[in-house]
Amino acid sequence: MERIDFDRLKTGEVNLGTSIMAVQFKDGVVIGADSRTTTGSYIANRVTDKLTHVHDRIYCCRSGSAADTQAVADIVHRFLQSEAQEREETPTVHIAASVFQKICYGNKDALSAGIIVAGWDKDVGPSVYNIPLGGGLFRQPWAIGGSGSTYVYGYCDATFKDGWGRDETVEFVKNTLALAMSRDGSSGGVIRMCVITEDSVQRLFVPGNELPRFWEGQEVLGAASKKIGSDVEVVPMAVEV
Amino acid sequence: MTSIGTGYDLSASTYSPDGRIFQIEYAGKAVENSGTVIGLKVKDGIVLAVENLIHSKLLVPEANRRIQTVDRHIGLATAGFLADGRQIANRARDECASQRDLFSRGPELKTIVNRLGLYVQAYTLYSSVRPFGISTILGTVDKNGPSLHVIEPSGVSFGYHGAAIGKGRQLAKTELEKLKLSELSMSEAVLEAARIIYLVHEDAKEKDFELEVSWIGPESNFTHVHVPNELYKEACTKAKAALETFD
Amino acid sequence: MNSSSIYRPAGFDFSNEIRNNFLHEKGLPLPGATSTGTTIVGCLFKDGIVLGADTRATEGPIVADKNCEKIHYITESIRCCGAGTAADTEFTTALISSNMEMHALQTGRKPRVVTAMTMLKQMLHRYQGHIGAALVLGGVDITGPQLFTIHPHGSTDKLPYVTMGSGSLAAMAMFESSWKPNMEREEALTLVKAAIAAGIFNDLGSGSNVDACIITATGTEMLRNVEMPNQRVQKERDYKFRRGTTAWRKEDIRQLIVQEHTKPVGGDEMDTS
Repeated sequence: MERIDFDRLKTGEVNLGTSIMAVQFKDGVVIGADSRTTTGSYIANRVTDKLTHVHDRIYCCRSGSAADTQAVADIVHRFLQSEAQEREETPTVHIAASVFQKICYGNKDALSAGIIVAGWDKDVGPSVYNIPLGGGLFRQPWAIGGSGSTYVYGYCDATFKDGWGRDETVEFVKNTLALAMSRDGSSGGVIRMCVITEDSVQRLFVPGNELPRFWEGQEVLGAASKKIGSDVEVVPMAVEV
Repeated sequence: MTSIGTGYDLSASTYSPDGRIFQIEYAGKAVENSGTVIGLKVKDGIVLAVENLIHSKLLVPEANRRIQTVDRHIGLATAGFLADGRQIANRARDECASQRDLFSRGPELKTIVNRLGLYVQAYTLYSSVRPFGISTILGTVDKNGPSLHVIEPSGVSFGYHGAAIGKGRQLAKTELEKLKLSELSMSEAVLEAARIIYLVHEDAKEKDFELEVSWIGPESNFTHVHVPNELYKEACTKAKAALETFD
Repeated sequence: MNSSSIYRPAGFDFSNEIRNNFLHEKGLPLPGATSTGTTIVGCLFKDGIVLGADTRATEGPIVADKNCEKIHYITESIRCCGAGTAADTEFTTALISSNMEMHALQTGRKPRVVTAMTMLKQMLHRYQGHIGAALVLGGVDITGPQLFTIHPHGSTDKLPYVTMGSGSLAAMAMFESSWKPNMEREEALTLVKAAIAAGIFNDLGSGSNVDACIITATGTEMLRNVEMPNQRVQKERDYKFRRGTTAWRKEDIRQLIVQEHTKPVGGDEMDTS
């Protein structure tokens, strides 16, 4: 399990302290991300798009340094364009992920980039590749990344099931990201998602005031509704509001 | 060659007035004088066969191979200057290695053929070099099934069902056309390949030759290897037998 | 260094190193690069972009220039506000401006804002943040109005309203409370002026006047010192004393102009015929 190592960022560098995610399902992949970009404690962009197009049916989710990941994604985008011209066919997700991996590993000392590559190709259909900080390359049925991901590994392990359809997968991504964003201070804003299938790339948007909500702790502050003992009156602890 | 001696045949960087480059055509002659090489693309694999002419009785049998492997699943056989064949194989290996390095996956033959074609073509542009004196047959079996390509001295490449280069190519092509290649099994293809090589050798009977056969397919676990000894012997025996009934 | 001042060996002189290390250990900070406090903003409106900037340049606690220009020319329809190290913003924008002109000449097309943005981000990323330029890039091209921020490490954001520099928080507060889509030109200019004013009055690093630049498809309008909220006013009182207030005992008037006489020595005058 990897964490975004904040010490690797140079001071003043723009950081994608992030929650990102990609999940494959039968007909395609669903990718998603929060929208927060920070410089120190300041939110430099509250509606960032971290889902970056690299080819027709291949996208990446970026985490780590904004400058580094944008530069790497631009290089891969350019490479895939020329590769598509030369081969006269659209490149596979595996090719895109390999190129990302090559750049991330070859420059590991200079980069802070955690990237998830996902998409659809005619060789294997949907696929998700995770490229964590050191520059490894792992194909996974689902992948999460960024500082917020550490809070939701358990949720994903407990919830994910094979054989989901599109809508169930979208719900899974949306819920996971909402949970990660609620616990991670460096993640937040809105949820952006993409559903990539053979036929289309569909963008989904969840505004900040319509995020899925989970337990938020009202019960703690409210008066106890049940009596614990039979004759002992339980007085709730005084709480200053 | 009507224009021999007119000066237009001295350099690969000079066209003749009617738009030909004689050095490339001469390179083609080098291929035509070589022992025959054939390639068969059948139902689920590739078979390559070479008529390896023996110029000395002192040569050790099976020690001087003309079919080369450039990647686990890619075989290569050349007709023409053997040394140029070695060069092209080394280049092909480098291309395969760089593709593997970049994409963490075995290369596609199409890419390798394209790049080798560019490489061969570059040797037709300069007065300081001579074009390759070889035609190259490359075969593979990958996720898209079997495929077979030929690169000529000019640098052009074509995909084939069945390919024949070298001295006996005309007869070999006629024989290949008679076959239902897409229905042949791998073993049947080996027998046919051996028969064709023995057949085309009839025109150069005075010279000794050694048959060389390799394949790629399910029988070889999709790697490029020479055919097993038993099958090889069976193929030679049947080829010789077929020759007697052919006349 | 105790050698004679007459003879010095060739090459570098490291004789101050021990002293400097000693002073550093005693707590004397090393001299740092000068970075300017600034407020710069950009704002999208119905038919274009409004850029805004304050005009204060600082060197540490000192105001180095009370009326500098922070909105730089890239092309006729693309401009760029710079915050951070003044020299870096000046020279990077000048370089990209030059390259954009060459690009326009070579392609025979009107250059696009994304082109300038890509050039800037690739250059800043190459220098890994050592070029301290934080930029707001805005303009109008064939694809319509475009607005970007570019951070010193080379990351970019595309947003309808942006702020940068030390006064960015004050300016962003104005945008977050008052910006709305499809504003009219005057409305947008007023908002930009208010945002820069917020920087000028609430951020120590920003000050003096407001510059603005309105870019639309029909043309670019550079509004230099569009607002001057810090004009020096006539002082209500002064310290001039009436003639004769101070008594004197002695008067001594001296000739301070140096007199010089030139005496020709050659004899004959120069032949000027």
